[in-house]
Amino acid sequence: MGNANLKLSRRQVLGVAAGGVVGAVGFRYLTLQLPGAGQPVASAAGAGGAWASPLSTRAGLAAHLLRRATFGYTAAELDSAASMSYPDLVDLVVNQQAQPLPQVADATNYQAVVRAWYEHMATTTAQFPERMTLFWHGLLTSDYRKAARLPFVLQQNELYRATGRSDFRTLVNAVTLDPLMIRYLDLEESTASAPNENYSRELMELFTLGVGNYTETDVREGARAFSGIRTVLVDANGQRIQPPKLQGSTPAAYVQALQQLISQGATFKGVLARAQHDDGVKTFLGHTGNIDPAQALDIVLSQPACATHIARLALVQFCTPAPSTSLIDSVATQFRNSNYDIKTLMRAIFTNQAFTSPDAYRSLVRGPAEYMVATMRALGSPSLAAMCVPSGAAMDQILYDMPTVAGWPSNQGWVSSGAWLARLNFAAGVVVAQRGFPDPVDAVHTQLDGVVGPDTAAVFNASQSDGDRWYALLASPEFQLK
Amino acid sequence: MITRRDFMVSGITATGVGIIVPPVFAKSVFAATIEDVHNDNVLVILQLGGGNDGLNTVIPHADPAYLQARPTIGIPADKVLPLNAAIGLNPVLPGMKKLFDAGEVAIVQGVGYPNPVYSHFEGLYIWEHADPSMQQTEGWLGKLLASQLDSQGHPLTGCALGQASTPSELLAQNATVSVIDSVPAYQVQGGAGRRVAAPALYRKTPGVYGALFDQALTTAEYGIAALGDSQSRYTPSVSYTPQSTVYGSKNSLATSLQLTAEMIVTQPSVKICHVVLGGFDTHQDEDTRQNALLAYVDSAVSAFMQDIANHGMADRVVLMTWSEFGRRVVENGGKGTDHGAAAPVFVVGKPVKGGVFGEQPSLTKTVDSGNLQYNVDFRSVYQTLIRDWLKADPTAVLGASFPELPIIQTA
Repeated sequence: MGNANLKLSRRQVLGVAAGGVVGAVGFRYLTLQLPGAGQPVASAAGAGGAWASPLSTRAGLAAHLLRRATFGYTAAELDSAASMSYPDLVDLVVNQQAQPLPQVADATNYQAVVRAWYEHMATTTAQFPERMTLFWHGLLTSDYRKAARLPFVLQQNELYRATGRSDFRTLVNAVTLDPLMIRYLDLEESTASAPNENYSRELMELFTLGVGNYTETDVREGARAFSGIRTVLVDANGQRIQPPKLQGSTPAAYVQALQQLISQGATFKGVLARAQHDDGVKTFLGHTGNIDPAQALDIVLSQPACATHIARLALVQFCTPAPSTSLIDSVATQFRNSNYDIKTLMRAIFTNQAFTSPDAYRSLVRGPAEYMVATMRALGSPSLAAMCVPSGAAMDQILYDMPTVAGWPSNQGWVSSGAWLARLNFAAGVVVAQRGFPDPVDAVHTQLDGVVGPDTAAVFNASQSDGDRWYALLASPEFQLK
Repeated sequence: MITRRDFMVSGITATGVGIIVPPVFAKSVFAATIEDVHNDNVLVILQLGGGNDGLNTVIPHADPAYLQARPTIGIPADKVLPLNAAIGLNPVLPGMKKLFDAGEVAIVQGVGYPNPVYSHFEGLYIWEHADPSMQQTEGWLGKLLASQLDSQGHPLTGCALGQASTPSELLAQNATVSVIDSVPAYQVQGGAGRRVAAPALYRKTPGVYGALFDQALTTAEYGIAALGDSQSRYTPSVSYTPQSTVYGSKNSLATSLQLTAEMIVTQPSVKICHVVLGGFDTHQDEDTRQNALLAYVDSAVSAFMQDIANHGMADRVVLMTWSEFGRRVVENGGKGTDHGAAAPVFVVGKPVKGGVFGEQPSLTKTVDSGNLQYNVDFRSVYQTLIRDWLKADPTAVLGASFPELPIIQTA
């Protein structure tokens, strides 16, 4: 779909142009005058309608990185990050080891899994692995709908957490055999005699190459190569076992039987059932042979377009809403040359001048999950996770239930009259639910870098209680940006 | 009834509820009387997301190639609701059949475009931007709003209902769109203080998103005020039955269409309403899944049309369905169908001249190895609705002229 995802509205184009000029001229050396603790908050908007960028300061740049590479931070976490050099901080962040999701009581209940994930996003100190889990969830999409009463959502969530910072080759191979993906994109009933094209098409169009880098014949030949993938249940030793039968059982008895097997170490996994696989000769992306799923993925990953596609999507999420071709190529080259090492990809983004320059400041819109988790982290209140599922729906982001296989909007795509009301109303609900607030003036400095526009400053300063001040902060345009 | 013209001429007080108008809109509403199209006609767009299978919607039951291509999911001739000797409706569409028999449904056969694409997202882009070359960056309805229906940005002219994000069809320079999931949720919650503070945070936001944010909040603020007493001015006259459990559908079409009726009945400025039902990507188990979805469309659209008629507004409303593509002629191994090309479009309403238009594409002389050849360019449908229904200039929106279809009654 070409540049459709990159399109900025006219207003934004004008804004970008103005911001760019001003940023290049004046902001690189701007020193902010921040009020001290307990003082009213001053407006620190820059000239020409742009934000006054604090990215030339160590604390400002550290906060900028943490807003993008993580789900936000407390004051103590920011202090610690700001005490390091920026390259050391980037290394620390990208090398974080994932912490496992705490045990979910009912692995077959996807809503319980989503709630547990929200709590984990809010509490884990391994923030970057969690942010990458969400990134891959939005890119290598699956929804819960065909996995009723099966623990597939949890398994995929754990897969993305465990594999999401390794290399893209490992990740894509695992995803192709992931039970939730097998269901979601209809691999399960794809046979040699009637291959289903859904996975083959979306793999190339959305997950790896992008439109224009394959033909309709490749879609059909790829479907043949991916035919015969099936989901089986294996015990803790990897031996295949029979899943409980839903037919003739009650739902409760079925779930109980399944949970018992899972508690004993059973998992579902995808395998290639040779009897169902088309082992004839195919011609796929210029390669001819008896191509099986693993070989098809090798062929896909050998296409130069793959690194470019992933680099572009990662840049839109983490760096700039409209990355230039040269920026994409630069990041893609590093990603490709590292044999798809995901840490290399992310380090290339976080250390790029496009990420650290004044123009990058507040140039991305926090997605709903990011906004809500950042709220929980700023307030230190992971129990607000119960609010995240319904509130996310009104902001147009339900985890494991994206609108289409292309995932969610990004940046300006999140902005609508209804979705923005939902964001403000989330903040209103939060300050009602919260018991005891951290100092809101401190929070303006840590969460908003002390850089607030005149509107937010006025509303904040007119507020009569800490709850009102926190509402002003959380509902502010400043807090919606990263 | 207050007409759109009354509304535009006398401004917002024409609604009689004394709402506060942000200055930018107070000015706009008067300015708009000079430049914009004036009539009370409303176009409702119903998007069937995922690629609805046209061949199991309007069934060529007399063609033996149909059941040959669809041995398990084909619907036999004795089950279809016949429209003529050659075609009939899926049996889950009795409401549509009734409207068709009343002369209120135009079925346009074989709608598509040259060199069809089989990607959801390219197909969507083409239909949303009315451009098979995918060069246009603005949605066709957004362009229409900004250039002719609503050049001054009245926030309740273009509405996306029962959803949270702006549909690409409505995105354009200067197109102002209200995105309303439900009226009760379309509020600033948390009390009077929040109702003051929320918009005050968004008057002049710095940075590249400033105008976009501010517009979203101003639009919301205006819409909240305008809708403040709408529930006392509209009561549904029929029962809309929401079904949240229909396969793959992520929102309630019945609720969205009830909200559409409420908007049309209570808001004189409304011209374009967009609603969507997803789940039509039936690669598997199409027999059960598509039938459930189409049955839901049938009941929701029937309720909506009846409700609109009961409110005395049947002459004002036309509804059009579209989907990014039809599906492959031959079914696949999972009782489903893969992505295809041309498919029928339904245009529904009392102002419609009912009947079957265009030709059923051949099931055997196909394009791209097994897909239906279009014979009506989708932009012909757009052009007809823009000119004959909305009384606007289609050329400015479509960039070219297409053969029109005689599907709207003339006076």
